[in-house]
Amino acid sequence: MSITAETAKEHAHDPAVLCCRAEAGITIEAANLEDPAIFDDLVDSGLLNLDGALTIEQVLGAKLTKTCDSLCPLTADVVEGAKAPSAPAAEEAPAEEAPEAPAPAAPPVAGPTAGGTLKIHIGEGKDIDLEIPVGALGGGAAVAPLPAGAEAAVAGAAAPEAAGEEKVVRSLTRKHFTITEVKRGPETKIEGTTLYIREGIEADVIADQDLIKDFKLEVITPDLYHTYSETVMDVQPIATKEGDDVVGEGVTRVLDGVVMMLTGVDEGGVQIGEFGSSEGYLDENIMWNRPSCPDKGEIFIKGNIVVQEKTNMERRGPMAAHTAFDLITQEIREVMKKLDESLVADTEELKQVRRPGKKKVVIVKEIMGQGAMHDNFILPVEPVGVLGARANVDLGNVPVCVSPLEVLDGCIHALTCIGPASKEMSRHYWREPLVLEALHDPEVDLCGVVFVGSPQINAEKFYVSRRVGMTVEAMDADGAFVTTEGFGNNHIDFASHIEQIGMRGTPVVGMSYCAVQGALVVGNKYMSYMVDNNKSEAGIENEILGNNTLCQEDAVRALAMLKAAMAGEDVKAAEKKWNPNVKSTNVELIEAAAGVKIDLVENEQSLPMSQKRKEKYS
Amino acid sequence: MNNERLNYGNKVIYMEGVIVDIDDCSISVDLKGRLGFFKAPKRMFICDYELKIGQEVGWNMSFPEQLGDEVNDKYISNIEKERRKQEEMRQRMDNKEA
Repeated sequence: MSITAETAKEHAHDPAVLCCRAEAGITIEAANLEDPAIFDDLVDSGLLNLDGALTIEQVLGAKLTKTCDSLCPLTADVVEGAKAPSAPAAEEAPAEEAPEAPAPAAPPVAGPTAGGTLKIHIGEGKDIDLEIPVGALGGGAAVAPLPAGAEAAVAGAAAPEAAGEEKVVRSLTRKHFTITEVKRGPETKIEGTTLYIREGIEADVIADQDLIKDFKLEVITPDLYHTYSETVMDVQPIATKEGDDVVGEGVTRVLDGVVMMLTGVDEGGVQIGEFGSSEGYLDENIMWNRPSCPDKGEIFIKGNIVVQEKTNMERRGPMAAHTAFDLITQEIREVMKKLDESLVADTEELKQVRRPGKKKVVIVKEIMGQGAMHDNFILPVEPVGVLGARANVDLGNVPVCVSPLEVLDGCIHALTCIGPASKEMSRHYWREPLVLEALHDPEVDLCGVVFVGSPQINAEKFYVSRRVGMTVEAMDADGAFVTTEGFGNNHIDFASHIEQIGMRGTPVVGMSYCAVQGALVVGNKYMSYMVDNNKSEAGIENEILGNNTLCQEDAVRALAMLKAAMAGEDVKAAEKKWNPNVKSTNVELIEAAAGVKIDLVENEQSLPMSQKRKEKYS
Repeated sequence: MNNERLNYGNKVIYMEGVIVDIDDCSISVDLKGRLGFFKAPKRMFICDYELKIGQEVGWNMSFPEQLGDEVNDKYISNIEKERRKQEEMRQRMDNKEA
């Protein structure tokens, strides 16, 4: 396909290749040339050899001396009058794939391309008047657009004027209670650091929902980590609000050292949301300490729910499982509300701070909304509860604005099931790294978090992404993050969200697991600032719970990248194939610029490998 | 990455199939020409229209190649456990019905 003069200018330093057959003697124009974007594939497959090819800027206006077929690279022997190559200015300027530095280093001055040639060739003609404004010749720097550096300086000068005091909008206090032991007893209670769960509570869980046919509760202590388990559907913190406080403000009580863990099958023994086995030994399948996962050393209150036959793939199956399991958590919550203050082990205050005058940023989190377990309960009454919440599928997947503290206080009860390595379970939101980083960064003003569902059909995807664009436009944000979990058709709306925000002139950093298997299926010109959440060695969905989810190290990179983007810096284009070195280089750059050490999390290589087991068939 | 282990990895074939079942999480597809069947999460399908049984789908794929001779015990163990569990559950259902 031929290219336009504009594209030719963008790719001035890329190789020139004919897009279609051209006769000897023609003057080469942009329309004769192929789009360099497709060259990588052609070179890879051996269809194209670019050795000795001249660049596009060299051949434009030159004469073709030999008739050539399509996809023929233009070399010096077939072109007459090629220009000398200019220094590829673009290559010196851009920062590494990621941010130059969080510190506002003066961005490279892009400036007008001075010294270019204005060549007018008129073969034959008469009475030709050429009238060209002086400024248009490029020498007139006065009328040229402001170089990026100047813009940054202007913004910098304006900032102190507008910068106001930090404003605490609301605060959330987390009171931590330590649990060191979980036992069964005649009633649910907490004594000291021991949590007792009522014997026979299983019957209540079964009776709670028609679809629940059986239920088994297990307490997994660290010495039982090497226990076989069905696929983990969700990991949830155990937390409750004090008095009449609502999620996102006031006081929350939380149990430390223990988490709720839900697994489930249907009556036929098929896993809820079954797509091949990812069940196995807990200690081989959980990436410890990921935001969504249990931390090593914690006790799991693990429930295995059996739902009515064949409802494992219907929406009502997983919903019933989550609702019934919450009955146990709710019973613990009721006990927690009555706990004596003397048992509080630690108190932590989270403040929602607005920083007027600083760059205003918004976090858009795309959550699954295709149906069944690709759903989320939004804003329950209790942290990560069920009561009072609305499923985002029922809300039509439209954007819902929440405060950063609502996110950290468990406003999302996630029903995720497939894609264990990249799904964000309920606990993820409880300690969302990007929200925490942005909230605590004195250089940005986090104005809010927008949750948007990912519907199944493309028309609905574009419907919701336009709403995202309008929401961000109304916020007047200077920059935005768009994150998504998992991979698949949700990448279509992920790209569309970025486009809708980007086309309104707001720089956007996109965050997703991509690497090898999750490579993006679509793209657009606004997707130039991307952060990959991959941690797996091979870049794949490795069935290890939480392995490829957004961690602090990704949040730090994304934040640095957004700051660079808001300062008008360019980011080097991504390499054609996934290259894990890009991430390490970026991390080093940030470390060097900010003078901090970023500890990278471990991946599946740190877990015990499956070996021949004696108890293999036990 | 891992695809370096493939010997025929760049042989990409256009395939077609028919949607034979849809539930809240998945779509089942019969490959045309009696070439098999697969079921995958809805998330892995790109849909421009409301999903209906009988709609045709197309995609590019290649031949799955064995990555080696070794058997992964983890999967054997899981498959065996799964089989036993399903048998157990079936018996329980049968008992209930009786």
